[in-house]
Amino acid sequence: MRARLDPVELALGALVGAGSVTLVSIAVAALKPHMPVLSLGVLYVFAVLAVAVRWGIVLAVVVSIASMLVFNWFFLPPTRTFQLQDGANWAVLAVYVVTAVVVSALATSARRDRDDAEQRRREADVLAEAAGDLLRGAQLGAELEKLADLATGALGVGAARIELGDVRADEGETALPVDVGLRRVATLFVDAAPDPVVANRFLPALAALLAVAVDRSDLEAEALEAEALRRSDIVKTALLRAVSHDLRSPLTAIVAAADALSIDEIRLDAEDRSALISAIREEADRLDRVVSNLLDVSRLEAGAVETHPELWSVDDLVGRALDSVGAAADRIVVELDADSPPVLVDAAQIERVIANLIENALRFSPAGTPVIVRSEHGATELRIHVVDRGPGVAASERDTIFQAFRRGGGGGSGLGLAIARGFAEANGGRVWTQEDPTGGHFVLALAAARMPVVRT
Amino acid sequence: MNARVLVVDDEPQILRALKASLRGAGYDVDTAETAEGALTAAAVSPPDAVILDLVLPDGRGTDVARELRTWSSVPIIVLSVVGDESEKVAALDAGADDYVTKPFGVEELLARLRAAMRRFDATPEPVIDVGDLHVDLEKRLVSFAGKPVQLTPHEFRLLALLARNEGKLMTHSAILREVWGRAYADESHYLHVYVSQLRRKIEPEPARPRYILTEPGAGYRLVDPS
Repeated sequence: MRARLDPVELALGALVGAGSVTLVSIAVAALKPHMPVLSLGVLYVFAVLAVAVRWGIVLAVVVSIASMLVFNWFFLPPTRTFQLQDGANWAVLAVYVVTAVVVSALATSARRDRDDAEQRRREADVLAEAAGDLLRGAQLGAELEKLADLATGALGVGAARIELGDVRADEGETALPVDVGLRRVATLFVDAAPDPVVANRFLPALAALLAVAVDRSDLEAEALEAEALRRSDIVKTALLRAVSHDLRSPLTAIVAAADALSIDEIRLDAEDRSALISAIREEADRLDRVVSNLLDVSRLEAGAVETHPELWSVDDLVGRALDSVGAAADRIVVELDADSPPVLVDAAQIERVIANLIENALRFSPAGTPVIVRSEHGATELRIHVVDRGPGVAASERDTIFQAFRRGGGGGSGLGLAIARGFAEANGGRVWTQEDPTGGHFVLALAAARMPVVRT
Repeated sequence: MNARVLVVDDEPQILRALKASLRGAGYDVDTAETAEGALTAAAVSPPDAVILDLVLPDGRGTDVARELRTWSSVPIIVLSVVGDESEKVAALDAGADDYVTKPFGVEELLARLRAAMRRFDATPEPVIDVGDLHVDLEKRLVSFAGKPVQLTPHEFRLLALLARNEGKLMTHSAILREVWGRAYADESHYLHVYVSQLRRKIEPEPARPRYILTEPGAGYRLVDPS
């Protein structure tokens, strides 16, 4: 329904009014021979009604007065004049006019109620749909767009968008505050000013809904953050528990050795002194390895590993890994294909993968038995096998063994294999352990790169 | 007169340990704890070598190296930490000669210092022996443990460059520039593969290189394994 009639509407209403008055007049002319003409005046109510329903009470009054004048002119004697033979006829005409106006008023009001109900239903639908979506946990950001779309229908505007908080309008837009109490929840931008009655009804409901959704979204974010914190706390606790032993035992050895060297009462021969000094050095190296492992695992857990891939040969990678394994390297048998393809990886990280697999093999196989590092390759993949003569890995543990803080019982902080898998995957590779009757068998698979054309 | 080494680090324990070790090895030691202090000390009494921590309270060691290089060719060895490889490379690019990674062994540091301070003559020895490796620069002949080794021209130039700079870190770009030419300075990608091929010809065990050592992210150096 409209508050004002524009000229086109008004002209159309006048036309319909004139048309319906004409139709009724024809009907009256047709019926005139069969009944008293005065009683037929009531038929003009239909003409008035036709106008009232669509164009409202004002035009209806105009049409009702016009129709009585037409009735008087054509049908009431003396016809072709606005005079009446019988003065009582004036009263009858007056009753007709009043009836027409009352009926019109009723029709208009019924029509308005229906429009109003229809409008409220639209608004309620929008809000119900939005509430449903928001409560089902839809993303607030995506929902705003849809909500704005729905709001165009409810407000009878062409385009709308919703911005959370208090935002300035662009040119040519009307900004409607969406407030709950003093809190500016959002701002609704529309391309035309909507009916203030509708806006005043719709916006508070929208505001209440959005306020709940915003609060809910904030709470969810907080809950997620809390969960992440809780998890990192669990990791930290496990980490501290796992490494306190690994940190403390080398520290203890270092302190003891340094004391032994510095306390005067302790008499040491040259051999004892040099043993203590190498103990300090070796334990310090061990500490360094624990710290590196911690650093690596925390980076991997945080997803903060950067790789700097370059083309490397398997010789180079295995060579550096053996270097970092150090003293125990004489137990290691290396069998590498001379024609292995190069791989595009971060050398420092892949070196750690291989070193950790080798250290794991050394740790879990009997002293004096060899650990074999072997390479094989196909067209697309280079595989490095690390095989030992230890007990191997039970089928049930082949996956869990790669989780951080798993301790196999052989010493070490239980981070080595987790780091190996983390770095391998960061470089597009895979690490797994497989069934082998001779003992432990771990495999690192990396994508084979193309050999460059070497300028020799 | 002893050679003078300027040590720049803000951690007193490290300064103390380095001072003792370097004096014990026959060097005179100056110390500075800040970037500004380092530049002042180097200007007041120019050192024969600088040991420079990459992280200083008032700036980056890399900037100190760059600043020093504007007026001095003094050998610079930077102290880096695991996990900060890009800063180490930046320092090398800024003109540092070599690096050691914390925690480092004193022996390793002294070896780097000696190699960096060794002055190379414009006309180097025509024959270089490193362990069992024998390189004759004039006759372009290489032998290992008395057995001749066949190298391609580029392999020979690569080995000769490393041998002339024995013990010194040769960065990827320096090697590529010298051996393949300026246009190849950014092809460090392939350098590792070239070096692997050279290793297969001269190293007794290519997977356990003892002569040509890889410095990941930085370069290569030729060392005497004994």
